[in-house]
Amino acid sequence: MIDGMFNQSNYVAAKKLLDVTALRQEAIASNLANVETPHYKRVDIAPVFATELRQAITSGDPARLGETQPRLATDFTAISQRKDGNTVDLESELLRMNQNYVEHQLETQLVSSMMLRLRLAITGRPA
Amino acid sequence: MINILTGIDSTSAALNAERIRMDVVSQNIANVNTSRGPDGKPYQRQQVVFESVLKDQVELGATPGSAAHLVRASRVESALRPPRLVHQPGHPDADADGMVAMPNINIHEEMIDLMAASRAYEANLSVVKTARGMAQQTLSIGKR
Repeated sequence: MIDGMFNQSNYVAAKKLLDVTALRQEAIASNLANVETPHYKRVDIAPVFATELRQAITSGDPARLGETQPRLATDFTAISQRKDGNTVDLESELLRMNQNYVEHQLETQLVSSMMLRLRLAITGRPA
Repeated sequence: MINILTGIDSTSAALNAERIRMDVVSQNIANVNTSRGPDGKPYQRQQVVFESVLKDQVELGATPGSAAHLVRASRVESALRPPRLVHQPGHPDADADGMVAMPNINIHEEMIDLMAASRAYEANLSVVKTARGMAQQTLSIGKR
């Protein structure tokens, strides 16, 4: 019974997106650390993951959703606006970081609320 | 190794590198008029060279194949510009024409460098703050 709760595709997707926000934070930390490194190219979540995730969600199969693996890759779409060939833009990187922070907040609350609902069903009273 | 604060190793490497850069800039400013160093020549402007390093090559716990980078101040090099010549007859280091070779330092350039380093330092501090907030949120999963 409880397995059914933790295998819902919503729950699995929220968990997966939590992993994604943590990984993106790592990418942004790497980018901001190298904001002054010549020839550094910014990294981000590999674009192929978005496609995989979309396909997995459309298929509605939680197991397939759980198998998707986010990873970091060099962002080749970023264009360097500087002489040193570095593709990090300080302002947009900080904006992305704040956006990612709010996304992380959303995912933690989603996962949390699902667990609280389960607890409510078990105990019959709000936690 | 579990890492509660994601990306903190990149950030700490960056804070370290920017601190070295600030140290070098202050050394340059301090020596703006040093016409004789230990080698008898005018002081030469020092500059830090930053280098990005793949995280999975230097860290044991890093995900293999991850594209995340650290940064390090790989070396400090002397600038190759010629010295500034100042007319100062009577100066102990003046040549036959009364010209003294002063360090190849432009104080404005150093001030800009100092500001850039301190801004980059601040940006990395804000990454630490965000990572901390995210860790706190994660730890609150399941609480009301």
